[in-house]
Parts: sequence; structure tokens; C-alpha cells
Amino acid sequence: MLFPCIRSDSPLSIMAKRQVGNLRRITLMLRIECVLGSRVEPELSEQLHRLEHRGAVDIVTIPVVDLARRRLLITTSGGEELAIALPRHQKLFDGAVLLLEKERAIVVRAATERWLRLEPRSLSDAIELGYQAGNLHWRVRFEGGVLLVALEGRPEDYLARLEGLIESGRVGAGVIEQAVDHEAAPFAEHGHPHSRPPGHGH
Amino acid sequence: MRVQTAFNLQAGRSGPGAARVGIGGPVGSGKTALIEALIPVLQQRGIDFAVVTNDLVTKEDAERLRRSGLIDPARVTAVEAGACPHTVIREDPTLNIAAGDDLEARFPGIELILFESGGDNLASTFSLDLVDWWIFVIDVAGGDDIPRKKGPGLLRCDLLVVNKVDLAPYVGVNIDRMLEEARAVRSGRAVIPTNVRGGFGIEEVADAISASVLFRV
Repeated sequence: MLFPCIRSDSPLSIMAKRQVGNLRRITLMLRIECVLGSRVEPELSEQLHRLEHRGAVDIVTIPVVDLARRRLLITTSGGEELAIALPRHQKLFDGAVLLLEKERAIVVRAATERWLRLEPRSLSDAIELGYQAGNLHWRVRFEGGVLLVALEGRPEDYLARLEGLIESGRVGAGVIEQAVDHEAAPFAEHGHPHSRPPGHGH
Repeated sequence: MRVQTAFNLQAGRSGPGAARVGIGGPVGSGKTALIEALIPVLQQRGIDFAVVTNDLVTKEDAERLRRSGLIDPARVTAVEAGACPHTVIREDPTLNIAAGDDLEARFPGIELILFESGGDNLASTFSLDLVDWWIFVIDVAGGDDIPRKKGPGLLRCDLLVVNKVDLAPYVGVNIDRMLEEARAVRSGRAVIPTNVRGGFGIEEVADAISASVLFRV
């Protein structure tokens, strides 16, 4: 059974004037006011599966740092402009279904995230590195003896903050890309959900 | 009209609520003055809004806005941080979230809530649990080296406002170079120069808010 996910006074398609150079053009944006659910939920996945086989599932790829936003302007891979405005109790996530119609659907894909991989050579180097990362409010993950720092800017700006540790060779550094570790199953190239370990790339 | 359909009726009934925008920056950079300048512009555009101010241990900024005559005093709420201002906009923004919820309950249909942080340092950032989009305000008189210091507030904000550009000649600042360096460290993300006391740049800031979170120009 389907329910409308909008208030009756809140049309989903909104007109917006966009400044493009000296010209103003009228753009039709699709307003999204809630997440319908995860693509792996049985009620949704069945319909999505049918639409995927007809090539009717549009993907909106969202940088991981922007998944925390309730309001966002973004364009799908199919060229649809979305004006996302979620209630405060909802969040975007990889696999979030934003639109589900008879003829098409729009689903969120979290962009591949870049991480600075920092490997301290000794316990004392690790302690100092941990202190610096915390002091700088970096978003981190731990992978055994390696510290992974989410890159939300240029790697050189992060490395500059660790100049002494890097230049002396006390911490080894490199950049890696990883798919988001999420609750919902990620996308495969052919569009079917399946599970995969962190770091496994397509 | 396209219809977004869902299995979650409850989510659909709740609606998105008001857009929430943060305004942070160092002490004296012009955060409250920016809000004072924005109020008539937002009103002129027919935007239904309210303000939450944050102070350390007083309600000084809220009282200033309430006494200004620019806005219904009931639409200004004060939060006393009681500690470093960033703690209530980043680490635990519960007090501010509650203040926003209270305003939404008291003013149904409100479109926008501005959250002014207490004056802080260049490391101050907003939690996206509290706001949808945020502005960081620095000022020319604070020194033209601020962008080069690459503080997280300056790097991560959605819009950087460089205020008091009219003072540049008096404090030995090359404003063009300062703006250029600000855009460079932000990899080209939005930077707007303002003189909020003189009304310069206010329309552009209002445009940025409208386009980014209200989806209108």
C-alpha cells in the first residue's frame, strides 16, 4: 500500500530561476521531502528491481560529507535537479530511496570516500599522531595499526599539519579510496544489491 | 504533478520543517550586525524566519536584536552556552536544537531559523545535526593573514563572509589579495565581501541563503 510522502500544500516540482552568466533561466527542480526507505527493504527492493531492468532507476551520487545534510541541491546522473529538504529526524544514506513511481525511481549512492592512510612507526609516534588528529577535529577510522583520516579537502593541507611526523618518516602517509561502509547493500555496476567487504571496489 | 510515494506515512506527515542556517566566526567579526542587516532584507522577500543567539553567560546578543525594533522579540531566542561557544553548536547542540524546535512549534510554517554562534576562534564549526548550511564571518580588521591560517571554520563553511571591507585602507590590508587567498584555500567555494554596517553585500548573502536552503532566487 502506498502513501503520499508530501503535504497536500507542498508541490514537489518547484520552479527556480537560476543565474547562468548574464542570463536567467527557469529550472524545474524536483522537491524531495522525505526518504522513503532503504533500497534493500523488501517492499521497495521488489519494485526497484523491476525498474532497474528497464533502466528506470536514476542515481544521485552524494559526497559522504553531504550525507549529513537535511537540505541539499544536487543533480542526479540522469540530469534531474533535486531540492532535498528532509524532516530533522531523517538522514540521507547510501541506498536511500528518494522517489518511487510506477515508471521510475531515484536512489542515493554515497560517493567513494578518500582517506589519508597514516601508519605510525612506533607506539610513541602513534600517540603523537592520535593527539594531533584529535586536536584538529579530524574524522577518523582505525584499521589495526593504521589511522585513516577522512579527506574533506586537499591531502597536502592535512599533511602540512603533520609536517614533523611525516618529514622525519615517523609516520607513513598515502591516499586511498574506499566505498562507504553502510547498512544498506551497496550498488554493483549491474544495479543489483549485494554485499562486499570494506575496501572492495568495482 | 509528480508524486513521491512512501511506505512511511508518519514521515510524510511531519514535513521538512524550517531550514536552519548557522552563522559563526570570531568575536567582533560582525555576526550580530550581519543578522541585523539581513532581517529587513529577508522580511522584504517575504521569508518567515526567527533567530537563535548564543552567548557565553548572558543574553546580550538576543537582547540587542529584541531591542532593535527590527523583529518581533518573540522570534528571538537566547541560548547561554556556559562554556566555549563551539560546544553547543558542534559537540552537543541539544540546547540549540531544542530552541529551534520551540520556535517551530510557536510559529507554525516558519521557513528559516538563523543560529548565531557565540564569538569563537577559527576552529569553530557547526554540526550538520543542528544546521543545514552555515556561514563563517571574519573581518578585515582582524588581519589579512586569517585565510592563510586555514582554520576549519573558514575552510569548511558553506559561505565565507569577509566583513568590514571598508576598513581595509585603514588597517593596511590589501582586500583583493585577502579575498583571493580566501578563495584559494577554499578551493573556489563561495566567499562574499561585505560591509554590513553600510549594507554592502547583504543582498548577496540573502541570495546565497535563499538559493541554498530555501531553493529560491
